[in-house]
Amino acid sequence: MRHVIIGAGPAGINAAKTIRGMRPDDEIVVISKDKYVHSRCMLHKYISGERNERTVDFADENFFETERIEWKSEVAVTGIDAAGKKIICDKGDMTYDKLLIATGADSVIPPIGAMRAAPNVFGLRNLDDAQKIRGLAANAKKVVIVGAGLVGMDAAYALLELGKTVSVVEMMTCVMAINMDAYAAGAYQKRFEDAGCSFYLGKKVCGTGTSGDLVTSIELESGESLECDMVIVAVGVRPSVGFLAGSGIEVERSVKVDAHLRTNDPDVYAAGDAAGLSGIWPNAVKQGVTAAKNMCGENVTYDDIYALKNTVNFFGLATLSIGINAPEDGDHVEIREDRRNYKRVIMRNKTVKGILLQGDIRYSGFWQHLVKNEINVSDIKKSVFDITYGDFYGVDARGQYEWRVSA
Amino acid sequence: MKRIIIDAEKCDGCKNCSIACMEAHRDQRGGGLYTVDLLDPAIESRNVIVLDRKGAYTPIFCRHCDEPECVLACMSGAMHRDKESGHIMYDEERCAACFMCVMNCPYGVLKPDRATGTRVIKCDFCANDNDEPNCVNSCPKRAIFIEEVV
Ligand SMILES: Cc1cc2nc3c(=O)[nH]c(=O)nc-3n(C[C@H](O)[C@H](O)[C@H](O)COP(=O)(O)OP(=O)(O)OC[C@H]3O[C@@H](n4cnc5c(N)ncnc54)[C@H](O)[C@@H]3O)c2cc1C
Repeated sequence: MRHVIIGAGPAGINAAKTIRGMRPDDEIVVISKDKYVHSRCMLHKYISGERNERTVDFADENFFETERIEWKSEVAVTGIDAAGKKIICDKGDMTYDKLLIATGADSVIPPIGAMRAAPNVFGLRNLDDAQKIRGLAANAKKVVIVGAGLVGMDAAYALLELGKTVSVVEMMTCVMAINMDAYAAGAYQKRFEDAGCSFYLGKKVCGTGTSGDLVTSIELESGESLECDMVIVAVGVRPSVGFLAGSGIEVERSVKVDAHLRTNDPDVYAAGDAAGLSGIWPNAVKQGVTAAKNMCGENVTYDDIYALKNTVNFFGLATLSIGINAPEDGDHVEIREDRRNYKRVIMRNKTVKGILLQGDIRYSGFWQHLVKNEINVSDIKKSVFDITYGDFYGVDARGQYEWRVSA
Repeated sequence: MKRIIIDAEKCDGCKNCSIACMEAHRDQRGGGLYTVDLLDPAIESRNVIVLDRKGAYTPIFCRHCDEPECVLACMSGAMHRDKESGHIMYDEERCAACFMCVMNCPYGVLKPDRATGTRVIKCDFCANDNDEPNCVNSCPKRAIFIEEVV
Protein backbone atom coordinates (compact mmCIF):
# COMPACT_ATOMS: atom_id res chain seq x y z
CA MET A 1 0.00 0.00 0.00
CA ARG A 2 1.30 3.44 -0.92
CA HIS A 3 0.20 6.32 1.31
CA VAL A 4 0.91 9.82 0.05
CA ILE A 5 0.57 12.83 2.32
CA ILE A 6 0.64 16.34 0.94
CA GLY A 7 1.94 18.68 3.61
CA ALA A 8 4.63 18.49 6.29
CA GLY A 9 2.83 20.48 8.97
CA PRO A 10 1.45 19.00 12.19
CA ALA A 11 -1.40 17.20 10.40
CA GLY A 12 0.85 15.63 7.76
CA ILE A 13 3.75 14.70 10.05
CA ASN A 14 1.51 13.15 12.69
CA ALA A 15 -0.44 11.26 10.05
CA ALA A 16 2.80 9.83 8.64
CA LYS A 17 3.98 8.82 12.11
CA THR A 18 0.64 7.18 12.89
CA ILE A 19 0.58 5.21 9.62
CA ARG A 20 4.12 3.97 10.24
CA GLY A 21 3.11 2.85 13.72
CA MET A 22 0.23 0.82 12.32
CA ARG A 23 1.77 -0.38 9.05
CA PRO A 24 5.46 -1.25 9.38
CA ASP A 25 5.74 -2.30 5.73
CA ASP A 26 3.61 0.20 3.84
CA GLU A 27 5.17 2.83 1.65
CA ILE A 28 4.76 6.38 2.98
CA VAL A 29 5.56 9.53 1.03
CA VAL A 30 5.31 13.10 2.35
CA ILE A 31 5.35 15.94 -0.16
CA SER A 32 5.91 19.55 0.86
CA LYS A 33 6.65 22.86 -0.72
CA ASP A 34 8.58 23.60 2.43
CA LYS A 35 12.29 22.98 2.39
CA TYR A 36 12.38 22.61 6.19
CA VAL A 37 9.81 21.05 8.46
CA HIS A 38 8.79 23.89 10.72
CA SER A 39 6.30 25.02 13.30
CA ARG A 40 4.46 28.09 12.11
CA CYS A 41 3.81 29.01 15.71
CA MET A 42 7.52 29.72 16.13
CA LEU A 43 8.07 31.83 13.00
CA HIS A 44 8.21 35.03 15.04
CA LYS A 45 11.14 33.54 16.94
CA TYR A 46 12.86 32.89 13.64
CA ILE A 47 12.39 36.51 12.56
CA SER A 48 13.67 37.80 15.89
CA GLY A 49 16.74 35.58 15.58
CA GLU A 50 15.95 33.47 18.66
CA ARG A 51 15.67 30.36 16.47
CA ASN A 52 17.08 29.12 13.19
CA GLU A 53 15.89 26.72 10.45
CA ARG A 54 16.84 23.77 12.61
CA THR A 55 15.30 24.93 15.88
CA VAL A 56 11.90 25.77 14.39
CA ASP A 57 11.57 22.07 13.50
CA PHE A 58 8.94 20.32 15.63
CA ALA A 59 9.41 16.75 14.41
CA ASP A 60 11.47 14.12 16.19
CA GLU A 61 15.15 14.10 15.34
CA ASN A 62 15.88 12.28 12.05
CA PHE A 63 12.15 11.74 11.74
CA PHE A 64 12.00 10.66 8.11
CA GLU A 65 14.96 8.26 8.34
CA THR A 66 13.86 6.70 11.61
CA GLU A 67 10.29 6.21 10.46
CA ARG A 68 11.35 5.18 6.95
CA ILE A 69 9.27 7.84 5.26
CA GLU A 70 10.18 9.28 1.89
CA TRP A 71 10.10 13.05 2.05
CA LYS A 72 9.84 15.02 -1.17
CA SER A 73 10.65 18.53 -0.05
CA GLU A 74 10.45 21.63 -2.21
CA VAL A 75 7.93 19.89 -4.41
CA ALA A 76 4.64 21.66 -5.16
CA VAL A 77 1.52 19.72 -5.99
CA THR A 78 -0.33 21.49 -8.77
CA GLY A 79 -3.20 19.09 -9.35
CA ILE A 80 -4.83 15.79 -8.45
CA ASP A 81 -6.55 13.28 -10.70
CA ALA A 82 -8.65 11.35 -8.20
CA ALA A 83 -10.11 9.00 -10.83
CA GLY A 84 -6.62 8.04 -11.99
CA LYS A 85 -5.14 8.15 -8.43
CA LYS A 86 -2.50 10.54 -9.69
CA ILE A 87 -0.77 13.52 -8.14
CA ILE A 88 0.51 16.17 -10.49
CA CYS A 89 3.61 17.98 -9.23
CA ASP A 90 5.94 20.63 -10.56
CA LYS A 91 8.71 18.02 -10.48
CA GLY A 92 6.93 15.02 -12.02
CA ASP A 93 3.77 13.03 -11.34
CA MET A 94 3.14 10.38 -8.70
CA THR A 95 0.57 7.76 -7.88
CA TYR A 96 -1.10 6.85 -4.59
CA ASP A 97 -3.36 4.23 -3.07
CA LYS A 98 -4.42 6.45 -0.17
CA LEU A 99 -4.02 10.20 -0.17
CA LEU A 100 -4.08 12.75 2.64
CA ILE A 101 -4.47 16.43 1.89
CA ALA A 102 -2.80 18.34 4.73
CA THR A 103 -1.83 21.49 2.88
CA GLY A 104 -2.77 23.96 5.60
CA ALA A 105 -3.74 27.47 4.63
CA ASP A 106 -2.36 30.52 2.84
CA SER A 107 -2.22 34.13 4.00
CA VAL A 108 -4.85 36.40 2.53
CA ILE A 109 -3.50 39.68 1.17
CA PRO A 110 -6.41 41.99 0.37
CA PRO A 111 -6.40 43.78 -2.98
CA ILE A 112 -5.80 47.21 -1.50
CA GLY A 113 -3.52 49.56 -3.43
CA ALA A 114 -0.25 47.85 -4.38
CA MET A 115 -0.33 45.34 -1.52
CA ARG A 116 -0.61 42.19 -3.59
CA ALA A 117 2.18 42.96 -6.02
CA ALA A 118 4.72 44.84 -3.92
CA PRO A 119 7.91 42.93 -3.04
CA ASN A 120 8.06 44.49 0.42
CA VAL A 121 4.61 43.29 1.52
CA PHE A 122 4.42 39.86 3.18
CA GLY A 123 2.07 37.48 4.83
CA LEU A 124 3.40 35.41 7.73
CA ARG A 125 2.59 31.76 7.19
CA ASN A 126 5.62 29.89 5.93
CA LEU A 127 9.26 29.80 6.86
CA ASP A 128 10.11 31.42 3.54
CA ASP A 129 7.88 34.38 4.49
CA ALA A 130 9.86 34.66 7.72
CA GLN A 131 13.14 34.36 5.82
CA LYS A 132 12.16 37.16 3.46
CA ILE A 133 10.98 39.32 6.35
CA ARG A 134 14.21 38.74 8.25
CA GLY A 135 16.21 39.47 5.11
CA LEU A 136 14.48 42.75 4.37
CA ALA A 137 14.39 43.73 8.04
CA ALA A 138 18.17 44.16 7.95
CA ASN A 139 17.70 47.41 6.04
CA ALA A 140 14.19 48.39 7.06
CA LYS A 141 13.49 50.90 9.80
CA LYS A 142 9.73 51.30 9.79
CA VAL A 143 7.36 48.39 9.60
CA VAL A 144 3.57 48.50 9.41
CA ILE A 145 1.61 45.47 10.47
CA VAL A 146 -1.96 45.13 9.28
CA GLY A 147 -4.03 43.06 11.69
CA ALA A 148 -3.61 42.70 15.45
CA GLY A 149 -4.71 39.08 15.78
CA LEU A 150 -2.32 36.45 17.09
CA VAL A 151 -0.26 36.34 13.90
CA GLY A 152 -0.02 40.14 13.63
CA MET A 153 1.07 40.37 17.27
CA ASP A 154 3.64 37.62 16.69
CA ALA A 155 5.04 39.67 13.83
CA ALA A 156 4.99 42.89 15.85
CA TYR A 157 6.79 41.18 18.72
CA ALA A 158 9.53 39.85 16.43
CA LEU A 159 10.16 43.19 14.74
CA LEU A 160 10.23 45.05 18.04
CA GLU A 161 12.85 42.55 19.18
CA LEU A 162 14.88 43.55 16.12
CA GLY A 163 14.61 47.20 17.13
CA LYS A 164 12.30 48.30 14.33
CA THR A 165 9.76 51.08 14.55
CA VAL A 166 6.53 49.13 14.46
CA SER A 167 2.98 50.38 13.83
CA VAL A 168 0.01 48.04 14.01
CA VAL A 169 -3.29 48.83 12.28
CA GLU A 170 -6.43 46.99 13.35
CA MET A 171 -10.10 47.37 12.45
CA MET A 172 -11.31 46.15 15.85
CA THR A 173 -11.01 48.46 18.82
CA CYS A 174 -8.60 46.23 20.74
CA VAL A 175 -5.80 43.82 19.96
CA MET A 176 -6.43 40.05 19.75
CA ALA A 177 -10.16 40.78 19.95
CA ILE A 178 -11.12 37.22 19.03
CA ASN A 179 -9.11 35.77 21.87
CA MET A 180 -9.81 38.03 24.82
CA ASP A 181 -11.82 40.96 26.12
CA ALA A 182 -10.74 44.57 25.85
CA TYR A 183 -9.41 44.65 29.39
CA ALA A 184 -7.09 41.68 28.95
CA ALA A 185 -6.09 42.94 25.51
CA GLY A 186 -5.20 46.30 27.05
CA ALA A 187 -2.56 44.64 29.21
CA TYR A 188 -0.80 43.41 26.07
CA GLN A 189 -1.24 46.68 24.23
CA LYS A 190 0.47 48.47 27.11
CA ARG A 191 3.41 46.04 27.09
CA PHE A 192 3.83 46.39 23.33
CA GLU A 193 3.62 50.19 23.60
CA ASP A 194 6.24 50.15 26.35
CA ALA A 195 8.45 48.27 23.87
CA GLY A 196 7.94 51.06 21.33
CA CYS A 197 4.97 49.84 19.30
CA SER A 198 2.25 52.23 18.05
CA PHE A 199 -1.31 51.07 17.57
CA TYR A 200 -3.97 52.38 15.22
CA LEU A 201 -7.07 50.64 16.52
CA GLY A 202 -10.56 50.83 15.09
CA LYS A 203 -8.98 51.98 11.83
CA LYS A 204 -9.18 50.71 8.31
CA VAL A 205 -6.52 50.57 5.63
CA CYS A 206 -7.77 52.10 2.38
CA GLY A 207 -4.70 52.48 0.20
CA THR A 208 -0.97 52.47 -0.25
CA GLY A 209 1.62 55.03 -1.22
CA THR A 210 4.27 53.68 -3.56
CA SER A 211 7.67 54.41 -4.95
CA GLY A 212 8.38 52.18 -7.93
CA ASP A 213 7.24 48.66 -6.95
CA LEU A 214 7.56 49.32 -3.25
CA VAL A 215 4.87 50.28 -0.80
CA THR A 216 6.21 53.29 1.09
CA SER A 217 3.13 54.18 3.11
CA ILE A 218 -0.10 52.69 4.35
CA GLU A 219 -3.08 55.02 4.09
CA LEU A 220 -5.89 54.87 6.62
CA GLU A 221 -9.52 55.89 6.13
CA SER A 222 -9.00 58.32 8.99
CA GLY A 223 -6.68 60.26 6.71
CA GLU A 224 -3.55 59.19 8.55
CA SER A 225 -0.60 57.98 6.53
CA LEU A 226 1.97 55.58 7.99
CA GLU A 227 5.38 55.60 6.36
CA CYS A 228 6.97 52.19 5.98
CA ASP A 229 9.87 50.22 4.52
CA MET A 230 8.03 46.92 4.90
CA VAL A 231 4.44 45.74 5.47
CA ILE A 232 3.24 42.53 7.07
CA VAL A 233 -0.38 41.61 6.42
CA ALA A 234 -2.02 39.37 9.00
CA VAL A 235 -5.73 39.67 8.32
CA GLY A 236 -6.56 36.02 7.93
CA VAL A 237 -5.94 32.81 6.04
CA ARG A 238 -7.67 30.72 3.41
CA PRO A 239 -7.43 26.92 3.25
CA SER A 240 -4.81 25.93 0.71
CA VAL A 241 -6.98 24.02 -1.77
CA GLY A 242 -6.56 25.81 -5.10
CA PHE A 243 -4.73 22.86 -6.65
CA LEU A 244 -7.84 20.69 -6.23
CA ALA A 245 -9.82 22.48 -8.95
CA GLY A 246 -10.96 19.88 -11.46
CA SER A 247 -9.56 17.00 -9.38
CA GLY A 248 -12.87 15.30 -8.68
CA ILE A 249 -12.44 16.04 -4.97
CA GLU A 250 -15.18 18.21 -3.55
CA VAL A 251 -14.09 21.57 -2.26
CA GLU A 252 -16.01 24.45 -0.77
CA ARG A 253 -14.01 27.04 1.14
CA SER A 254 -11.97 24.07 2.34
CA VAL A 255 -11.80 20.38 1.43
CA LYS A 256 -15.17 18.82 2.23
CA VAL A 257 -14.83 15.95 4.70
CA ASP A 258 -17.14 13.69 6.68
CA ALA A 259 -16.74 12.73 10.34
CA HIS A 260 -14.02 10.26 9.30
CA LEU A 261 -12.17 13.11 7.56
CA ARG A 262 -12.81 11.33 4.28
CA THR A 263 -13.59 13.33 1.15
CA ASN A 264 -16.14 12.34 -1.50
CA ASP A 265 -13.44 10.00 -2.82
CA PRO A 266 -13.11 7.01 -0.45
CA ASP A 267 -9.32 6.91 -0.82
CA VAL A 268 -8.74 10.60 -0.22
CA TYR A 269 -8.72 12.26 3.21
CA ALA A 270 -8.05 15.75 4.50
CA ALA A 271 -6.78 17.02 7.85
CA GLY A 272 -5.63 20.23 9.50
CA ASP A 273 -6.32 23.76 8.35
CA ALA A 274 -7.07 22.51 4.81
CA ALA A 275 -10.10 20.63 6.12
CA GLY A 276 -11.55 23.86 7.49
CA LEU A 277 -12.64 22.45 10.84
CA SER A 278 -10.12 24.46 12.86
CA GLY A 279 -7.13 26.75 12.55
CA ILE A 280 -5.06 25.67 15.52
CA TRP A 281 -2.20 23.27 16.10
CA PRO A 282 -3.61 20.68 18.52
CA ASN A 283 -6.61 20.07 16.30
CA ALA A 284 -4.44 19.67 13.20
CA VAL A 285 -2.44 17.01 15.05
CA LYS A 286 -5.52 15.09 16.12
CA GLN A 287 -7.04 15.26 12.68
CA GLY A 288 -3.83 13.94 11.16
CA VAL A 289 -3.88 11.00 13.56
CA THR A 290 -7.58 10.29 12.93
CA ALA A 291 -7.26 10.43 9.14
CA ALA A 292 -4.21 8.17 9.28
CA LYS A 293 -6.05 5.51 11.26
CA ASN A 294 -8.84 5.52 8.72
CA MET A 295 -6.34 5.33 5.87
CA CYS A 296 -5.11 2.14 7.52
CA GLY A 297 -8.58 0.66 7.55
CA GLU A 298 -9.78 1.63 11.02
CA ASN A 299 -13.12 3.26 11.49
CA VAL A 300 -12.67 6.26 13.78
CA THR A 301 -14.40 9.60 13.80
CA TYR A 302 -12.85 12.94 14.61
CA ASP A 303 -14.64 13.92 17.79
CA ASP A 304 -12.56 16.56 19.51
CA ILE A 305 -13.86 19.30 17.28
CA TYR A 306 -13.69 22.02 19.92
CA ALA A 307 -11.50 24.78 18.57
CA LEU A 308 -12.44 27.85 20.61
CA LYS A 309 -9.27 27.83 22.64
CA ASN A 310 -5.93 29.53 22.68
CA THR A 311 -3.03 30.62 24.78
CA VAL A 312 -1.01 33.78 24.35
CA ASN A 313 2.33 34.59 25.91
CA PHE A 314 4.09 37.88 25.22
CA PHE A 315 6.52 39.80 27.40
CA GLY A 316 6.08 37.33 30.24
CA LEU A 317 2.31 37.74 30.42
CA ALA A 318 0.33 34.57 29.74
CA THR A 319 -3.35 34.39 28.82
CA LEU A 320 -5.58 31.41 28.29
CA SER A 321 -9.02 31.63 26.77
CA ILE A 322 -11.48 28.86 26.17
CA GLY A 323 -15.00 29.14 24.84
CA ILE A 324 -16.99 32.21 23.95
CA ASN A 325 -15.43 35.61 24.40
CA ALA A 326 -18.49 37.86 24.23
CA PRO A 327 -21.32 37.30 26.72
CA GLU A 328 -24.84 37.15 25.35
CA ASP A 329 -28.05 38.44 26.95
CA GLY A 330 -28.83 36.44 30.04
CA ASP A 331 -25.28 35.20 30.55
CA HIS A 332 -23.74 35.77 33.94
CA VAL A 333 -20.25 37.24 33.99
CA GLU A 334 -17.92 37.07 36.98
CA ILE A 335 -14.55 38.72 37.32
CA ARG A 336 -11.78 38.22 39.82
CA GLU A 337 -8.79 40.47 39.75
CA ASP A 338 -5.69 41.33 41.72
CA ARG A 339 -2.45 43.11 40.97
CA ARG A 340 -1.10 40.33 38.77
CA ASN A 341 -4.17 38.47 37.60
CA TYR A 342 -7.35 39.00 35.68
CA LYS A 343 -9.90 36.22 35.42
CA ARG A 344 -13.28 36.31 33.75
CA VAL A 345 -15.86 33.59 33.49
CA ILE A 346 -19.03 33.61 31.37
CA MET A 347 -21.75 31.37 32.84
CA ARG A 348 -24.88 30.24 31.01
CA ASN A 349 -27.49 28.26 32.90
CA LYS A 350 -25.35 26.00 35.04
CA THR A 351 -22.38 25.71 32.75
CA VAL A 352 -19.22 27.64 31.95
CA LYS A 353 -19.41 28.99 28.40
CA GLY A 354 -16.15 30.87 28.48
CA ILE A 355 -13.11 31.27 30.69
CA LEU A 356 -10.38 33.85 30.38
CA LEU A 357 -7.32 33.69 32.64
CA GLN A 358 -4.54 36.25 32.46
CA GLY A 359 -1.44 36.11 34.62
CA ASP A 360 -1.43 32.91 36.60
CA ILE A 361 -2.57 30.07 34.33
CA ARG A 362 -1.25 27.26 36.49
CA TYR A 363 -3.34 24.09 36.76
CA SER A 364 -5.86 25.47 34.25
CA GLY A 365 -6.08 22.67 31.66
CA PHE A 366 -9.24 21.17 33.16
CA TRP A 367 -11.29 24.21 32.09
CA GLN A 368 -11.32 23.00 28.51
CA HIS A 369 -13.05 19.80 29.53
CA LEU A 370 -15.60 21.74 31.59
CA VAL A 371 -16.39 24.19 28.82
CA LYS A 372 -16.49 21.87 25.82
CA ASN A 373 -18.57 19.25 27.59
CA GLU A 374 -20.92 21.84 29.12
CA ILE A 375 -20.56 20.30 32.55
CA ASN A 376 -22.97 21.40 35.24
CA VAL A 377 -21.01 23.18 37.96
CA SER A 378 -23.96 24.50 39.98
CA ASP A 379 -23.62 21.80 42.62
CA ILE A 380 -20.09 22.90 43.56
CA LYS A 381 -20.52 25.22 46.51
CA LYS A 382 -17.60 27.55 46.07
CA SER A 383 -16.58 30.37 43.77
CA VAL A 384 -16.36 29.15 40.20
CA PHE A 385 -12.79 30.46 40.13
CA ASP A 386 -11.81 27.98 42.84
CA ILE A 387 -12.95 24.90 40.93
CA THR A 388 -10.15 22.44 40.16
CA TYR A 389 -9.94 19.03 38.57
CA GLY A 390 -10.08 17.71 42.15
CA ASP A 391 -13.81 18.42 42.11
CA PHE A 392 -14.24 15.79 39.39
CA TYR A 393 -11.51 13.47 40.58
CA GLY A 394 -11.42 9.80 39.70
CA VAL A 395 -8.75 7.18 39.03
CA ASP A 396 -9.35 4.10 36.88
CA ALA A 397 -7.86 0.62 37.26
CA ARG A 398 -4.78 1.49 35.22
CA GLY A 399 -4.12 4.65 37.15
CA GLN A 400 -5.40 7.03 34.47
CA TYR A 401 -7.49 9.90 35.71
CA GLU A 402 -11.10 10.05 34.66
CA TRP A 403 -13.80 12.67 35.01
CA ARG A 404 -16.50 11.95 37.57
CA VAL A 405 -19.42 14.16 36.72
CA SER A 406 -22.73 14.01 38.53
CA ALA A 407 -25.78 13.85 36.30
CA MET B 1 5.47 1.60 31.44
CA LYS B 2 5.80 2.42 35.13
CA ARG B 3 3.07 4.64 36.51
CA ILE B 4 2.61 6.26 39.90
CA ILE B 5 -0.65 4.70 41.06
CA ILE B 6 -2.75 6.79 43.42
CA ASP B 7 -4.93 5.50 46.21
CA ALA B 8 -6.58 8.76 47.20
CA GLU B 9 -8.45 7.13 50.09
CA LYS B 10 -5.14 6.61 51.86
CA CYS B 11 -3.88 10.16 51.35
CA ASP B 12 -3.93 12.25 54.51
CA GLY B 13 -2.76 15.41 52.81
CA CYS B 14 0.63 15.66 54.55
CA LYS B 15 2.30 17.07 51.39
CA ASN B 16 5.46 15.07 51.90
CA CYS B 17 5.21 14.18 48.21
CA SER B 18 5.28 17.84 47.20
CA ILE B 19 8.30 18.65 49.35
CA ALA B 20 10.02 15.50 48.11
CA CYS B 21 9.40 16.66 44.55
CA MET B 22 10.97 20.02 45.33
CA GLU B 23 13.93 18.25 46.88
CA ALA B 24 14.37 16.11 43.79
CA HIS B 25 14.47 19.18 41.55
CA ARG B 26 17.03 21.29 43.36
CA ASP B 27 20.62 21.40 42.23
CA GLN B 28 22.10 20.28 45.53
CA ARG B 29 20.80 16.84 46.33
CA GLY B 30 20.95 15.25 49.77
CA GLY B 31 20.23 16.76 53.14
CA GLY B 32 16.67 15.50 53.32
CA LEU B 33 13.28 17.15 53.24
CA TYR B 34 14.00 19.42 56.18
CA THR B 35 16.64 21.36 54.27
CA VAL B 36 14.32 22.19 51.36
CA ASP B 37 13.65 25.91 50.98
CA LEU B 38 9.89 25.83 50.57
CA LEU B 39 9.87 29.38 49.22
CA ASP B 40 12.43 28.78 46.49
CA PRO B 41 10.51 29.43 43.26
CA ALA B 42 13.13 27.57 41.25
CA ILE B 43 12.15 24.18 42.63
CA GLU B 44 8.38 24.12 42.39
CA SER B 45 6.67 20.82 43.02
CA ARG B 46 5.43 18.88 40.00
CA ASN B 47 2.58 17.44 42.04
CA VAL B 48 -0.09 19.02 44.19
CA ILE B 49 -2.79 17.90 46.58
CA VAL B 50 -6.09 19.76 46.41
CA LEU B 51 -9.36 19.40 48.26
CA ASP B 52 -12.37 18.17 46.34
CA ARG B 53 -15.83 19.61 46.80
CA LYS B 54 -16.38 17.51 49.91
CA GLY B 55 -13.05 18.38 51.49
CA ALA B 56 -11.30 15.10 50.64
CA TYR B 57 -7.64 15.08 49.53
CA THR B 58 -7.09 14.49 45.84
CA PRO B 59 -3.44 13.98 44.86
CA ILE B 60 -2.82 15.43 41.39
CA PHE B 61 0.15 13.83 39.68
CA CYS B 62 1.10 13.66 36.01
CA ARG B 63 -0.32 10.41 34.58
CA HIS B 64 2.12 10.13 31.67
CA CYS B 65 -1.12 9.48 29.81
CA ASP B 66 -1.85 6.77 27.28
CA GLU B 67 -3.18 9.53 25.02
CA PRO B 68 -1.05 12.47 26.09
CA GLU B 69 -2.94 15.66 25.26
CA CYS B 70 0.13 17.74 26.17
CA VAL B 71 2.15 15.99 23.47
CA LEU B 72 -0.62 16.33 20.90
CA ALA B 73 -0.82 20.06 21.65
CA CYS B 74 2.92 20.74 21.60
CA MET B 75 4.01 22.83 18.62
CA SER B 76 7.74 22.71 19.27
CA GLY B 77 8.44 19.02 19.84
CA ALA B 78 9.36 19.70 23.49
CA MET B 79 6.75 17.30 24.88
CA HIS B 80 7.42 13.77 23.75
CA ARG B 81 7.14 10.18 24.82
CA ASP B 82 10.45 8.65 25.79
CA LYS B 83 10.79 5.53 23.67
CA GLU B 84 12.51 3.51 26.38
CA SER B 85 10.60 4.35 29.54
CA GLY B 86 7.29 5.29 27.90
CA HIS B 87 7.14 8.40 30.06
CA ILE B 88 6.15 11.78 28.73
CA MET B 89 9.23 13.95 28.91
CA TYR B 90 9.72 17.67 28.48
CA ASP B 91 12.69 19.18 26.70
CA GLU B 92 13.16 22.69 27.99
CA GLU B 93 15.58 23.53 25.19
CA ARG B 94 12.96 22.96 22.50
CA CYS B 95 10.05 24.56 24.36
CA ALA B 96 8.74 27.84 22.96
CA ALA B 97 6.66 28.62 26.08
CA CYS B 98 3.36 28.83 24.21
CA PHE B 99 1.63 26.96 27.06
CA MET B 100 -0.72 25.04 24.78
CA CYS B 101 0.20 21.98 26.87
CA VAL B 102 -0.96 23.73 30.03
CA MET B 103 -4.31 24.44 28.41
CA ASN B 104 -4.73 20.96 26.98
CA CYS B 105 -3.89 18.84 30.02
CA PRO B 106 -7.41 17.64 30.90
CA TYR B 107 -6.52 17.33 34.57
CA GLY B 108 -4.80 20.66 34.99
CA VAL B 109 -1.52 19.13 36.09
CA LEU B 110 0.82 21.35 34.08
CA LYS B 111 1.85 24.91 34.82
CA PRO B 112 4.26 27.58 33.65
CA ASP B 113 7.15 27.98 36.06
CA ARG B 114 6.78 30.72 38.62
CA ALA B 115 10.36 31.93 38.55
CA THR B 116 10.66 32.83 34.87
CA GLY B 117 7.36 32.09 33.12
CA THR B 118 9.37 30.62 30.25
CA ARG B 119 9.17 26.90 30.85
CA VAL B 120 6.72 24.24 31.92
CA ILE B 121 6.80 22.38 35.21
CA LYS B 122 6.30 18.72 34.43
CA CYS B 123 6.93 15.40 36.22
CA ASP B 124 10.05 13.72 34.83
CA PHE B 125 9.61 10.58 36.95
CA CYS B 126 12.86 11.57 38.68
CA ALA B 127 14.56 10.31 35.53
CA ASN B 128 18.00 11.37 36.75
CA ASP B 129 17.75 9.21 39.85
CA ASN B 130 18.37 5.49 39.94
CA ASP B 131 15.69 5.07 42.53
CA GLU B 132 11.89 5.33 42.45
CA PRO B 133 10.46 8.84 42.14
CA ASN B 134 11.16 10.83 45.27
CA CYS B 135 7.45 11.49 45.94
CA VAL B 136 6.74 7.77 46.07
CA ASN B 137 9.64 7.16 48.45
CA SER B 138 8.45 9.88 50.79
CA CYS B 139 4.77 8.96 51.12
CA PRO B 140 4.21 7.66 54.66
CA LYS B 141 0.82 6.12 53.78
CA ARG B 142 1.69 4.35 50.56
CA ALA B 143 -1.07 6.36 48.93
CA ILE B 144 1.19 6.54 45.88
CA PHE B 145 3.16 3.59 44.59
CA ILE B 146 4.70 2.36 41.37
CA GLU B 147 3.08 -0.21 39.15
CA GLU B 148 3.92 -1.48 35.72
CA VAL B 149 0.94 -0.77 33.43
CA VAL B 150 0.45 -2.19 29.96
C1 LIG C 1 2.51 32.93 12.64
C2 LIG C 1 1.57 31.83 13.13
C3 LIG C 1 1.44 31.59 14.49
C4 LIG C 1 0.61 30.58 14.96
N1 LIG C 1 0.51 30.38 16.30
C5 LIG C 1 -0.27 29.38 16.76
C6 LIG C 1 -0.36 29.12 18.16
O1 LIG C 1 0.28 29.77 19.00
N2 LIG C 1 -1.17 28.10 18.58
C7 LIG C 1 -1.87 27.34 17.68
O2 LIG C 1 -2.57 26.42 18.10
N3 LIG C 1 -1.80 27.58 16.36
C8 LIG C 1 -1.03 28.57 15.88
N4 LIG C 1 -0.97 28.80 14.52
C9 LIG C 1 -1.77 27.96 13.62
C10 LIG C 1 -1.07 26.64 13.32
O3 LIG C 1 0.24 26.88 12.94
C11 LIG C 1 -1.84 25.90 12.24
O4 LIG C 1 -3.15 25.63 12.69
C12 LIG C 1 -1.17 24.58 11.85
O5 LIG C 1 0.14 24.77 11.39
C13 LIG C 1 -1.99 23.84 10.81
O6 LIG C 1 -1.34 22.66 10.49
P1 LIG C 1 -1.53 21.89 9.09
O7 LIG C 1 -0.76 20.63 9.21
O8 LIG C 1 -2.96 21.83 8.76
O9 LIG C 1 -0.90 22.84 7.98
P2 LIG C 1 0.46 23.68 7.87
O10 LIG C 1 1.19 23.70 9.15
O11 LIG C 1 0.07 24.98 7.28
O12 LIG C 1 1.33 22.86 6.83
C14 LIG C 1 0.95 22.77 5.48
C15 LIG C 1 1.97 21.98 4.71
O13 LIG C 1 1.50 21.76 3.39
C16 LIG C 1 2.50 22.09 2.44
N5 LIG C 1 1.81 22.48 1.21
C17 LIG C 1 0.79 23.35 1.05
N6 LIG C 1 0.39 23.39 -0.22
C18 LIG C 1 1.17 22.52 -0.90
C19 LIG C 1 1.24 22.10 -2.26
N7 LIG C 1 0.41 22.59 -3.18
N8 LIG C 1 2.20 21.21 -2.60
C20 LIG C 1 3.05 20.68 -1.67
N9 LIG C 1 3.00 21.04 -0.38
C21 LIG C 1 2.08 21.94 -0.01
C22 LIG C 1 3.29 23.18 3.11
O14 LIG C 1 4.57 23.27 2.54
C23 LIG C 1 3.32 22.65 4.55
O15 LIG C 1 4.33 21.70 4.70
C24 LIG C 1 -0.13 29.81 14.03
C25 LIG C 1 -0.01 30.05 12.66
C26 LIG C 1 0.83 31.05 12.20
C27 LIG C 1 0.95 31.28 10.73
